[in-house]
Amino acid sequence: MLIAPLFLLGLLGLALPWWLHRLEMQTTEREKFATTRFLEPSRKRIHVQRKLRYLLLMALRMAFLALLAIAFSRPILLQDPDALAAGSDSLHHVIVVDTSFSMREGGRMAAARERVAALLDAMGSDDSVSLYSASTTVATLVEPTSDADDVRELLGTLAADNGRLDFGAMVAALDPLLEQSPAPVSLHLVSDLQLTGQAIRFADMIPDVVNGLPVTLDLQPVVDTAVRNASVESVSVDSRDRVLVSVRVSNGALAAGEREATLSVNGVAQLTQPVPADVNGVAQLVFEGAAFAAGDNRVDVALQPTDTLPDDDVRYTVFDNSPPAPVLLLTTDPASLGVTYLSAALATAPRGYAAEPTLIDDVDARILPRYPWVIIDDLGAVDGALAGALTDYVRGGGAVFAALGPQSAGLSALPLLGLGVSAAGPGNDAAPVPIAQIDISHPALRDGSGWANVNVHPLKVTPAAEDRLLITQEGQIPVLLERSLGAGRVLLFTAALDNSSADLPVKPVFVSFMAEAAQYLSDEKLLVRAQTADSYLQLNQSGGASGQVIDPNGQSLLSLQDTTEAQEVRLQLTGYYQVFTPAGEVLVAVNPDQRESDLGQMSADTLANWQSGIRSAAGSAEVATDMALAEQRRDDAEEIELWRAFLLLMALFLLAESLLSARYLNLKTGTF
Amino acid sequence: MSASAHNNPMRLLDPKVLASLANLELVAKAVVEGFVIGLHRSPKFGFSQEFVEYRAYGEGDDPRYIDWNVYARTDKTYIKRFLGETNSHLLIMLDSSASMGYGSRGVSKLQVGKYLAASLAYLASRQHDAVGVMVFADEVLSYRPPTSRSGSLQGVIHTLDHAEAQKGTAIHKPMTRFHEHIRRRGLVAVISDFYCDTQELLDNVRPLAVQGQDVILFHLLDAGEIAPDIKQSTLYEDMETGQAVEVSPTFMQREYRERIAAHIAAIQSAASGINCDHVLINTSEPLDKALHSYLTFREKRG
Repeated sequence: MLIAPLFLLGLLGLALPWWLHRLEMQTTEREKFATTRFLEPSRKRIHVQRKLRYLLLMALRMAFLALLAIAFSRPILLQDPDALAAGSDSLHHVIVVDTSFSMREGGRMAAARERVAALLDAMGSDDSVSLYSASTTVATLVEPTSDADDVRELLGTLAADNGRLDFGAMVAALDPLLEQSPAPVSLHLVSDLQLTGQAIRFADMIPDVVNGLPVTLDLQPVVDTAVRNASVESVSVDSRDRVLVSVRVSNGALAAGEREATLSVNGVAQLTQPVPADVNGVAQLVFEGAAFAAGDNRVDVALQPTDTLPDDDVRYTVFDNSPPAPVLLLTTDPASLGVTYLSAALATAPRGYAAEPTLIDDVDARILPRYPWVIIDDLGAVDGALAGALTDYVRGGGAVFAALGPQSAGLSALPLLGLGVSAAGPGNDAAPVPIAQIDISHPALRDGSGWANVNVHPLKVTPAAEDRLLITQEGQIPVLLERSLGAGRVLLFTAALDNSSADLPVKPVFVSFMAEAAQYLSDEKLLVRAQTADSYLQLNQSGGASGQVIDPNGQSLLSLQDTTEAQEVRLQLTGYYQVFTPAGEVLVAVNPDQRESDLGQMSADTLANWQSGIRSAAGSAEVATDMALAEQRRDDAEEIELWRAFLLLMALFLLAESLLSARYLNLKTGTF
Repeated sequence: MSASAHNNPMRLLDPKVLASLANLELVAKAVVEGFVIGLHRSPKFGFSQEFVEYRAYGEGDDPRYIDWNVYARTDKTYIKRFLGETNSHLLIMLDSSASMGYGSRGVSKLQVGKYLAASLAYLASRQHDAVGVMVFADEVLSYRPPTSRSGSLQGVIHTLDHAEAQKGTAIHKPMTRFHEHIRRRGLVAVISDFYCDTQELLDNVRPLAVQGQDVILFHLLDAGEIAPDIKQSTLYEDMETGQAVEVSPTFMQREYRERIAAHIAAIQSAASGINCDHVLINTSEPLDKALHSYLTFREKRG
């Protein structure tokens, strides 16, 4: 390698000695003579020797110049530290064992252990091996080692979990491991090669190997044929307390009555009925008459008899049988359109709220603390005593969602907030004005897409400095603002909710807005009650501070310290997890990924393409990354400066040239 | 060069000086006139225009020399003969083989040969001799039969002027041609370096002598051929054959000189054996020796 290759232009100087010698040889070697009939060749072929000397001298001079040019270009020799390793015939066996949920079927795991044992037996003496398990994540079981016994010791502990294996994710996780391999890699995948494990993009299953070493994929299937499997796909409870069950069958059909489904609620089997024949792989059942307790119910449906993969024959579901949360709705007219719109929107919220319309004039302020939040359809109608009670309620941690009805117009100071309101409200003939700006970072406005076609005629409210404008019209006219008061908060909608001064109540966005506002104002954060095995439960959604999590086996997952710090918990088991939070106990049902229940296998063509894809990708990477790799290894390689050696050679050549040319000069001046 | 040297007409006989003259006829005039001026100091040779006798006009004689007064009185054609006029034929045979192109000091043997041939032709013409020329190498390249007619000298010089060194030497071809065309007795001047076999030369020249021709061999050699002086081993290439021979300085200073001297002696011996004159000419020397030899030869044979 040359650091200053431009100096190689000096090689053009080689033409100089060549030209000079050529001239000299032409002029001195031959002379015309009238006749050679009287001449006799000398015994020594002086001219031949001289020619050889000339050539040798010229070669020495040219070599001297070449060395000079090369020495100036600062040649270095890179000693590749990996050269020895790469040059050897050793192989690194990367054994990846599929431990996903589907491997629970039949004897797949035992077959996998046998396959691994056979691979270890076939290893070369110079080979190294590493063992990984692949499910939702790829875990290192044995670091690269030349001792196969390390792997054999772990074989007995290999077991399938409840996760899902995606081959694309698996290859992505293996990429850095393959790159760090010092030798060519033989990637052995011991798996049932599920079709559902194939990545959406085939290219994702090809490793981005950049170290230039060849990688071969050795597939070790643990089953030969697809196995029929039935699983409970879904269980849900409708509004009439009917339990709807869907049973999915893959790789075969399910005859009517072949299996029975048993519905259990809170661990008690309540109903059993035969599973009908499937239609396009799906059989539907409906259980009626099940009795549920108040609050969370553990609802699971199990198939009998079980098949070779029994763990997906049961599905766990949590049914929240809690009554809707009451919300105090203070109104000037309980029969108004505004009350109707509000009640309907709140009832459809996921949590379910029951609005309790109450006349503002009749309300007893002492009931306020019973409600986590309160709705006021016309804040201007609140009188002084109630206003004081509301203020205390908010400062104490309560929340209020208020609108401005007709009685709010012209108030110099709104109750609760003290903001001034313009006297002139919008006339009936005034054109509606769309909103101009919305703060979608607010938890109550996450779904901001539907607000674009909402038109509002707001009462002009002059916001205070501490107010946060969430929705405004042109000219910074507030439509929705928020103020924090003590430990509580107030959301103020500056128009009426009866479709008179704003068409918001009749727009679809009103429902989602009220649901989000209700969740925000009630400070309720809902856990996802149905989770997939091997996923993570976000504890910060369980209501502020962290809590304790009990797994289906009754084991506490969090230490005492974690109960206040842990933000997420991995749900490895299937069944019901109990999550204890400051807001109370919540149940979470965990089931395996439904795709793991489909035991169909990848086709032979796909597998062949996968193998050739990896082989060619590793091969092309070998060529494509040569320069990049050389660049990368240059840093690691040891640089040996060669210019000193070149200088030494130059000195030797110079000495030889001097001796030879001195002899040549003697030859010219002497006599024979 | 000093003023006296400048005025010395003999300097015009130096081949180096002659080489600076572009015109071969001018060279011949300069040589001969310079030579004649020096010659007048010697009473041996008569070059004056003194009348000697009348002779009947014969074929080949220049009509310019017919004495028309005598014709008017006698109705017969006579021509006047002057002192030094021999009324003989001179055929100059110039070797233009490749070896004649050799010259170690700037002037080749062929050039000197041309100067000599032109000078001989001019001298002969001046003495009313018929002059002819034959240029040969390995064959006869050009030939002008001897004649004393007006303009013959220019023709001869023109022929000489176009001679170039080329090919090898084959002495028998011009001699054969000579036998075919020349029956009349006369003078034959052969100008060559005579790099041929001595026996071959004898075999070809002897018939001429038998025929009654008077033959003079001008043996031209360069100083570099007679006494070569090299300091180092040299690879010589034969100008005729292209053959290359590497020789040492020792050889050239001893053995070669002996060999070339033996060759000259052999040619000289052969010439005397057939009653021919042999004149060795070193091309680095002036031409007066050659002209003097010719006049001596002519005087002797005339």
